[in-house]
Amino acid sequence: MKLLVIEDEAELAASITGYLTDYTCETAATFTQALEKIDMYTYDCILLDLTLPGGDGLRLLDMLKKEKRNDGIIIISARNAMEDKITGLTNGADDYIAKPFHLPELAARVYSVIRRKQFSSANVVEQHEVKIDLLSKKVFVEGNEVPLTKKELDLLLYFIGNKNKVISKGALAEHLSGDMADMLDSHAFVYAHIKNLKRKLTEAGYGNYLKNVYGTGYKWEV
Amino acid sequence: MKKLLDRNLKAFLLYALVVFLASVPAYFLIVDFIWRTELHEHNEIVAMRAKENFQRLSGDTAALNASIDAWNRIQPEAGIVPVNAMDEDSVYTVYRYTSLSGHEELDRFHGLISYFTAGGQAYKMTVETNIEESYETISAITAVTALFFLLLLAGFLLLNKKLSKQLWAPFHETVGKLEAYDLKSQSQIPLPQTDIIEFESLHAGIRKLISGNIAAYREQKEFTENASHELQTPLAIVQSKLDLFLQTEGLTEEQSGIIEAANHSLSRVSRINRNLVLLAKIENGQFASEETVEITGIVKELTGEMEDFLTEKNIRLELDAPGTCTVTGNAALVEILLTNLLMNAIRHTPDGGEMRAVISSGSVSIANSGASPLPEDKLFKRFSSAAAHTTGTGLGLAIVRQICQLYGWQVGYGFRDGMHHFTVAFTGGKEE
Repeated sequence: MKLLVIEDEAELAASITGYLTDYTCETAATFTQALEKIDMYTYDCILLDLTLPGGDGLRLLDMLKKEKRNDGIIIISARNAMEDKITGLTNGADDYIAKPFHLPELAARVYSVIRRKQFSSANVVEQHEVKIDLLSKKVFVEGNEVPLTKKELDLLLYFIGNKNKVISKGALAEHLSGDMADMLDSHAFVYAHIKNLKRKLTEAGYGNYLKNVYGTGYKWEV
Repeated sequence: MKKLLDRNLKAFLLYALVVFLASVPAYFLIVDFIWRTELHEHNEIVAMRAKENFQRLSGDTAALNASIDAWNRIQPEAGIVPVNAMDEDSVYTVYRYTSLSGHEELDRFHGLISYFTAGGQAYKMTVETNIEESYETISAITAVTALFFLLLLAGFLLLNKKLSKQLWAPFHETVGKLEAYDLKSQSQIPLPQTDIIEFESLHAGIRKLISGNIAAYREQKEFTENASHELQTPLAIVQSKLDLFLQTEGLTEEQSGIIEAANHSLSRVSRINRNLVLLAKIENGQFASEETVEITGIVKELTGEMEDFLTEKNIRLELDAPGTCTVTGNAALVEILLTNLLMNAIRHTPDGGEMRAVISSGSVSIANSGASPLPEDKLFKRFSSAAAHTTGTGLGLAIVRQICQLYGWQVGYGFRDGMHHFTVAFTGGKEE
């Protein structure tokens, strides 16, 4: 899996590549560099910053779409106006994430974009004993269906997209309820959902892959 | 409160009244003096002529006596009587009833008593002339004065009304423009043209003040905008570094706790920053697209999403939506407005409390139980959260007010029956 991170902030680019170790990451810091890389190679997913030295990221997006390229594109931008989001998405980006974001959130989105692009026909995610049918939103463990709520399924996919990574409660809370997230101080509801998910999966015979890390986060260990 | 012209008018009228009142005795004294002088002269002339004629008859005693007799018979009040000795001339004024005038009232007479000798005999002669009564004079003068004063009063009032309308028209227009002015529009007030020096200098002053304010406002707005925008990238870097740090092998529980605490504060800063950018965008009118938005559906959807928070705090939510409520505005903004009101209510409801959302055709009201009323004047200001321990950004209600201002809606707060009520009335349209 190959990723291109187009981001002019070296530190941020380094963090992203440092986190997304499941993929082969390349970086481009300027418009010209990005153009060269896109010309020469294809990627599974491109993370595109809009404000770049040498040009607007949206122009790169236009070029990619004109050439009918199949690379997945996620816009990462500090411009978070509704208009920018709409322009980006209607111009062909697969997703849009506004800065600042949590790296697990980005990883989950990258995972989901690649999954959609690569397994568009199957729409089934498999992880050891668990099988998720994304179209019917059903989860099976060893052939038996596990009834999960929307939030539990959401959590499961988030963990699978960030396997072997520690995810903080805060990041989980923000993922689950977006902007509303931690308007409330306690993250008790995150804990409740995770407890239920864990119980349902264990009851269905799934191994204990979901680990509590120091009481501040969780990790899906496979 | 009094009108400026009315205040003037009162003084003018009082002065006029005093002058008119003072003029009454003056007129009377002058008229009476003229009367007396003229009649005294008249009496003297009559007496002198009579005396001359009588003296001419001095030699003929019989003719003289007959003439005196005739005189006395014709003019009984002004008689000629023989006296023992001559005396000085004298004048008098007397009021008495006279049968001659035919009416029963006092008449005033001015008389002259004069002496003369004819045929060796001294006579006293009285000449009298009717003079206008002083009370009649004074009442006539008073009546005329009062009439003129009333004319003056009516004239003043009419003129005042007309002048007030004309003179103050540009002023009232200016006041109207000032009341309707919103600094956020960042445009000059279209003040009316006037050729009155006072108003023009007022306008010049206002224009200067407004341009100063616009400049200051713009500067401040740009600062917030730029600062918030420039903060996004460093925040993103810090956030990513923390996430990365969390992946470090051999992290202790303590270190992990520190990262989580930092994460927590950082996400608060990020939210404040996002909301500041949002405020700046609303102020800049960057949410131009307008569509018809159905409120009840959005509220249902939002409360569904907030289920977790409601359960967590054990809050009972009652939704009362008898009619449909549709408004025209930007869907995203309407959603932000409702989210903020609902989240605000959830955040400040005590555990086990209750919430009520009432949606009617023209308004939406969200109520939650609470202990005591909140200071309404501070509620909608930036960073003025009523509770010190709040987890909010202190911008939620400021955003609500900003959105309402954008569309000309009314947002209000009230405390009734142990509940905080936040109401948005979707009246009026977008302000032009």
